[in-house]
Order: sequence, then C-alpha cells, then structure tokens
Amino acid sequence: MAFELTVNGTVHSVDADPETPLLWVIRDQLGLTGTKFSCGIAQCGACTVHVDGQPIRSCSFPAAAAVGKAVKTIEGVSPDGSHPIQQAWKELDAPQCGYCQSGMIMSALALLQQKPNPTDADIDAAVTNACRCSSYHRVRKAIHRAADLMKA
Amino acid sequence: MVKRTPTDSDAATDGAAGMDRRQFLTTAAAANAAFVLGFWLPPRAAQGQTETRAATMPGAVWYAAAATPEINAWIAIDADDTVTIRIAQTELGQGVWTSNAMMVCEELQCDFRRVRPIYASANRDARELAPEWTLNVMGNGGADPKGGGEPTFGNRARTGGFGIPDSLYRRMRTNAASSVKDGRYYLQLAGAEARERLLLAAANLWGVSVHELTAKDSVITHAASGRTMTYGKIAGLAARTPHPNPAAIAIKSPDQWTLMGTEQNNLDVPMKVTGETVYGIDVRLPGMKWAAVKSCPVYGGDVKSYDFDAIRRRRGVHSAVQFPIPDPALTRGRVFSGGVAVIADSWYQAKSALDQMPIEWSIPARNGAFSSANMRAALLAALDEPGRVRVNLGDVDAAFAGAAKVVEATYFTPYLPRARMEPGNATVLVTDDRVDIWIGDQSPQETRFSASQITGIAEANVYLHMCHLGGGFGRNGNGPQAEQAIMIANANRGTPIHLLWTREEDFIGTTYRAMGMARLKAGLDTDGWPVALDVRTSMQKDGFGPDASFDVISRYYVPNYRFSNHSTDFHVPVGTRRGVGQAAHEFYRESFMDELAHAAGKDPYRYRRELIARTDLPFKTDMIKALDMAAEMSGWGTPLPRGTARAIALEERGAETGGSATISAMVHTVSLSRQGQVRLERVDVAHDRGFGLVNPLSVKKQIEGQITWFYNDAMHQAVNIQDGRVVENNFHVFPLSRLNEDPLKINIRFFDSGHWLIGMGHDRGTSVQSAIGDAVFQITGKRFRDLPFRQHDLSWS
Repeated sequence: MAFELTVNGTVHSVDADPETPLLWVIRDQLGLTGTKFSCGIAQCGACTVHVDGQPIRSCSFPAAAAVGKAVKTIEGVSPDGSHPIQQAWKELDAPQCGYCQSGMIMSALALLQQKPNPTDADIDAAVTNACRCSSYHRVRKAIHRAADLMKA
Repeated sequence: MVKRTPTDSDAATDGAAGMDRRQFLTTAAAANAAFVLGFWLPPRAAQGQTETRAATMPGAVWYAAAATPEINAWIAIDADDTVTIRIAQTELGQGVWTSNAMMVCEELQCDFRRVRPIYASANRDARELAPEWTLNVMGNGGADPKGGGEPTFGNRARTGGFGIPDSLYRRMRTNAASSVKDGRYYLQLAGAEARERLLLAAANLWGVSVHELTAKDSVITHAASGRTMTYGKIAGLAARTPHPNPAAIAIKSPDQWTLMGTEQNNLDVPMKVTGETVYGIDVRLPGMKWAAVKSCPVYGGDVKSYDFDAIRRRRGVHSAVQFPIPDPALTRGRVFSGGVAVIADSWYQAKSALDQMPIEWSIPARNGAFSSANMRAALLAALDEPGRVRVNLGDVDAAFAGAAKVVEATYFTPYLPRARMEPGNATVLVTDDRVDIWIGDQSPQETRFSASQITGIAEANVYLHMCHLGGGFGRNGNGPQAEQAIMIANANRGTPIHLLWTREEDFIGTTYRAMGMARLKAGLDTDGWPVALDVRTSMQKDGFGPDASFDVISRYYVPNYRFSNHSTDFHVPVGTRRGVGQAAHEFYRESFMDELAHAAGKDPYRYRRELIARTDLPFKTDMIKALDMAAEMSGWGTPLPRGTARAIALEERGAETGGSATISAMVHTVSLSRQGQVRLERVDVAHDRGFGLVNPLSVKKQIEGQITWFYNDAMHQAVNIQDGRVVENNFHVFPLSRLNEDPLKINIRFFDSGHWLIGMGHDRGTSVQSAIGDAVFQITGKRFRDLPFRQHDLSWS
C-alpha cells in the first residue's frame, strides 16, 4: 500500500506493507542507510530515529504509524556534519567502529533537546543504546561537550 | 550516479579487464574509464552528490582521482597535494586507517591534513609481489629501537592464516592486534621511499644535488636558491623516477618521530557522525536482490526439506536456494550448518517470508544431544584425566607433599560470541567469468579463495571490495556469511545478492570462544609463598589458545610448576575472540593469585609484586613498574567506604619470552550495593608505551573499550547450549552493558619500556574479571568462580 512519509523535511511517497518497520522503509525505500539494523527487537538502539522529536527504535515501529509525523534520521541532523552534537563527537573522537553511533547521536540529541544541561544520571537514563566497542566513556563526555556547544 | 567503493579500484586491472559490467559503469566510466567498479548509493546520488562533489567534500577521505600519479603501491599524490594512502587492513574501530596513514606520513613528510586513506585492492595484492625493499626487516627485533621490530610473516600459506607469501601489501589480514606491530617498518619504508623519489625528481628538475633539498608538509625547498615545489607538482615525475638504491633507505626511530606518537583524531570519524560510512550492510547495486537465511540451528545439521510453495506468492519473493554445509576446508575446519535462503526484492520481505516457510532439519543425533550441563560435566571430568603435560618444572608432587598449606580452586568460563553490532552480511555478484564481493572482511584473501573454490572461477578474477566493519573482535574466526552468499549468488548468476543475517542467525553463524574450565592447585610454604603450582585447563579439542600464557611459565614465581591441557570433543565451532584463550586464562590465574594472597594473609598487590620480583622474566622490571604505578594511581591502601573494594591484576603478552611485549596493570575500584548491584567505580591503568605508541589516542580508546568488554564478560554474558543449539541469541537474553554501567573514571598513564609493543586490540582489561570477583569476596566473603557473576547472589548485609 502507498502512503506518504515526511523524513528530514521531505515528503516521500512509499509503497510498502503498512506493518513494515520504519527502519526498512528508511534504509531500503528511501535509501537513507545511516540508520542501522542490529537486533531487530528494539533492544540495542542502532536504529534510533526521531518521530515528532521523540527517539524511537525504528526496527520495531510500523512505518504506517509515522504517517503525518516528522521523521528525522542521522542524515537530517545537519547537511554537513556541522551540528554541535556532531562537532562534539568529532572533538572527543567518540566512535570506534561507528556502527551504533547514528542511533547513539539521535538518542543523545533528543535528550539535549529536552534537557539542555543533562546530568550523568540523565544521560544514563535516556541514552540506552548499546555499543559493542564500548565507546561509552567518550560518548558521555561528548554529550556534555555538545550541551556546552549547543548553548554557545 | 556512482559512489565509488572505498576499495581502491586500481585502474588497469579491476576495471579495464573490461568484462561485461557496463550496467555498473554509467557515470563512473564516463567520467573516467579507469573507475569501472563502483556501487550506487541511491540517497545521496539522488540528492545530487556527484563524483566531483564527493571529491571536494570535507571528510570524503577515500577519494582519489584516477589520473593520480602512484609513487608506490601505498601512495598516490594528486596535483592539489592530496595524498592517497592505501590501507591493506580493515577499519573496524581500532583506528587502523589513521595509524597506518600516520606511519606513512611520518616519513613522507606530507601534510597530514591532506591525507586520504583508501582500501588497498586485495586482487592486486595477490597479483603483484611486494617490493624488494619491504622483504627484509631491518634491525635486531623487539629490543632494537632503531629497527623494524618483530613482524610475523611466518608460515604464510595460500589458504592459511597469514595470507599469500610476499604479496604486494605483505599483509592484508587484520588480526592478532598486529597491524602496527607487523606493518610499521614497511609502512614507514613506503613513506620514506616515496619521499626520496619526490626529492630526486625535484633535484633532477632543478639540476641540483638531492642533498641540498628538504621536505616538509608536502613542500620541497632548495634553501640555497629559495625555490620551492609542492609534492603535487612533482608527483608525476617522481612516479617515473626509480630510486637507485632503495635498500639504503632508513626509517626514523622513535626519537625522530614528529607525527607518530601524537594523539590524532581518527580520519574516518567525520563520516561516522553523519551516517555516511559505508559498511557492508549499506552496499546497494542495481538489480540487487536480498537474501535472508536460516541455517540448521544445530551445528553440523542440514535441511531435510522446506516448502517454498507456502510463501512463493508473497509480495516481492522470488526464489529459495538451499545451500549445503560450507566446506570445512574453506572455513578453517569448522563445521557450520546447511540452510536455506529466500530471495526477495527487499530484505524485510525475504526475512518475513522465510519466517513463514516450513523447514525440517536433519540433525545429527550426537550434536543434538549436547547441552551446557553435560558439556560442563565433560570438561570437569577431563580435568581428572592425565591430559597433555605442556610444562613440568621441578618436582611438583614432591613440593606438594612438603607444603604447609594447599589451596585449590576450579573456575569456569562460558561460550562467548563476539556479537558485533553489524550482523553478518555480504553482497556477491557471480557472472560466468568473474566474482565481485562487497564485504567488511578481516581476511579478504581467504574469502577470495573461497569464492574461487565455490564457483570454479579463477581466483585472479575474484574481486573483493572492502567496506568498513561494524565491529570485529576476532571476525577472522567468524562464520560463513561470505561462503553462504557466494553459494547463493552462484545459484543466481548475473544477479547481485545481498545476504544479511538476522541477529538470531548471527548467533548461529558466528564462532565462539570455547567454553572452558581450569583447576589451579598451589602448595604454600609456612610464609604463604607458593612452592608448587599445578594448572590444568580443559577446553574442546579445537578450541583456540588452550595453552595461552600458561605454556612457558606461571608468570608469578613458583619453583615447581606443571601445566597440562585436557580436551573434550564438542560440536560448537570455536574461534578467536579478542584474543585466543588468554582472556579466560587471565581470569583463572589472576583470581587464583588473589585467593593465594588472601590464604597467605598478604596484600594482593604486594604479593604479586614480590612473586614477579623473584622471577628472572625478561620484562620483570616493567611488570613491577606497571603494578607500582597502577597501585599508586589508585591510592592503593587508602580507606574506602564499606561496600567498596580495590583489586589489582597484571596483563601482559610476551613478557615471558622476551622480544616484543605489551604490559599493563590495572586497579579496579568496585562498589557493591547490599542488594548485590556491582558498579565499576574507577579504573586506574598503568600501560606500557614501549619504544613508542603510534597513535596514543587510539590506544586509550582500545583500553577504555576493553575495560567494558571484559566487564561484560565478567558480569553479564554467556551463551548456553540446549539440545545442541545456542539458547541466548539476541540482546534481550545476551545483555550488553550501557552507559549506566560504564566507569565514570578511567585514568590511563603510560610508562616507558625497552621493547616494541605487540598490540592493544585484545588482552587489555582482562583484569576486570578477577578484580570484580575479588572485590565481591572482600566485601561479602563469598568467592565465585563461575562467570558471569550476575548468576550469583552477590548481596550482603
């Protein structure tokens, strides 16, 4: 069935079974491959995108449920990697393999938009993405750094 | 629109071979006939990102123009001074793109900000021989700061673990934490050879002596006349200027380094924060179909029957392909399973259809009878068998007879997968005379060999296009995603097939670190010092590293030492996993040292220190230095609140044998709530700098990451076997720690030592395991010897 999705500000017409997870529509129909598949059961967060500003695990979120809402993926954070959160990530050299980082950034961005000065406890509670390289130590510093940059 | 693969397409061959690839060659071929291999990236292509734009985009680090003069196999320099450095190892988060580029750049004296790494061609690696000047390692091994260290190229067999003898890039594998250890001398040489030829070309052009010229930041200067020239301007001439005596080219020693040894942010990180990095899973080709697969969940099993008719009318579904058990000769003797693939327009369609397709399995009775309980019992029983004695120093039995006290402990470590974040995948196109494979792969030559064997197509016509890997951790030992994809694509010649495993399938397709047990028994004298040590380890017979780090000496001094292996025969395919055997062995040994110290009534730090001091190990002073530094950093001995404890352990590779080594000590400060909640509060790390670290920032990241890796091993992770199949097969039952468990403080300090290092990609942070165990013991009085600790009641009152 055909329906329309607004992703990163652009309206796309997609043709998929409505229960198809948003992840696969984003990756395979819209070709936005920055959002990653890893567990398929909403555990790890590699597939995190925003729907109306809320971080969701797109591997377990029906695409049809995003109709009429604003979807933002890693590609929509900035056109050129210049968003303060991306700057902070680069400054701290946060990623290792990088596979989980799109989702990690989307979770952290949602947190910063709700809490511009997150505490470590806020970070622990909100950024529940898994990273197998364990980039956590730098990710935490990068979130604090991004908070500073976003205020500037 | 085409975005080139990050693989170097090396013009004359991968491309102009000219086979029928026109459907893939639209823009790229038009733009430049040399670049005939590429792949589409629809999103950005659709948004107008042309080849040209990619070239000028900041962060487009793998761009290199086709007409760029190649100075040598590693280096090409553009007219605008962009230096393309070809990387023959796979970037999987360890920072190899950056460290390899640094080693080349250090000697080339180019502007590091204008460096662009690109994957070297595996096909070309197999076709050309390494330059003469890379074949001999200069200097005197691991203890010579001016030399090339101790690279390992031994026993290089065509299909074996070390690649093709004397192939162009010397080493295309990414394993054993050895990219820096093995590659440093020839990467520095490659940079130096290119620099000398650039200087020679400029000297010839200007008619001056080469000795009057200097090079810095890609500019050649003739001080006497004030003339300058950039590398880009002279590169074409340098490419045609051979060096008269490359054997005379020397490399810089660490005291001369200016770039190596400095902290450099990783060159590919800018692409990792925008989602632009191309992992294997992101490869898209025109006409590509997706494959979802199910293998028999019991290793060694196969498909008895399946009913494709039940799903054939589902939307997007094309066909099903049964594939046999991959030839163990292509998977290093490991027996995986046969299975079936469903091919569809999209992966989700393929996977959903496969979920609905009835499949009956044919399961070997013996394999289906294995379960964790009976396997553990078999390992335990093996410990009582005579075993294979590997080391027998002194008279162990006599020393036990005379000991004042005997301490014995039996430890257990479960099967563990790597569980990297990117599930196994590969994209393969087989035509009648050629195979193309797009994959993140740590052993590309072995994958090319597999492709040739499976398809019958000459290996010279097998091309592998390397992608970044979403985690490695020993992927060389990984399962048969490439072999499966090649078999499926071979049955669909002319159609590119993208195979992708579900997470559950990834737990079946991976190899495991072997489940293991160890019994350590020590006799102590009246002062509590060990006089005898008997170490028995048991593991399945094909397990990796059954001897690791116990096979020379016990590390800690004991005059009478015996070490024996005891093996059983299980069906689970086992492989490397952030080391080979050593991580489990460190848990056994360092836990036991804590137990001995407590039995002797001595401080675990000073007990270890004294027992290292009593040895004559070649690097004992470095080990003592590490222990002292970590203890001092941690405030060892200062009071802690009730419920918090410190524990210390050594980590080393190579320190028993001399030559190259890597030595570290860590103190872990661990808190434990009364309810039994563990928190790694703080880690103090004293780490060997050796003669020099290439990129200390990457080393720190490797250390930070491994602390949490082994925290997970200690606290959370296990895979059990039931009826021959893996039980924990996704992250709801195989937990990964998150930010909330990451230590808030990790303090890392480096100390100088007199040897080259082995590598940092594994066997760092193993001390977390014994440290948590000992902290729990100090706080609760309870000693747990089975991992993971979460299965135990850690509460106290």
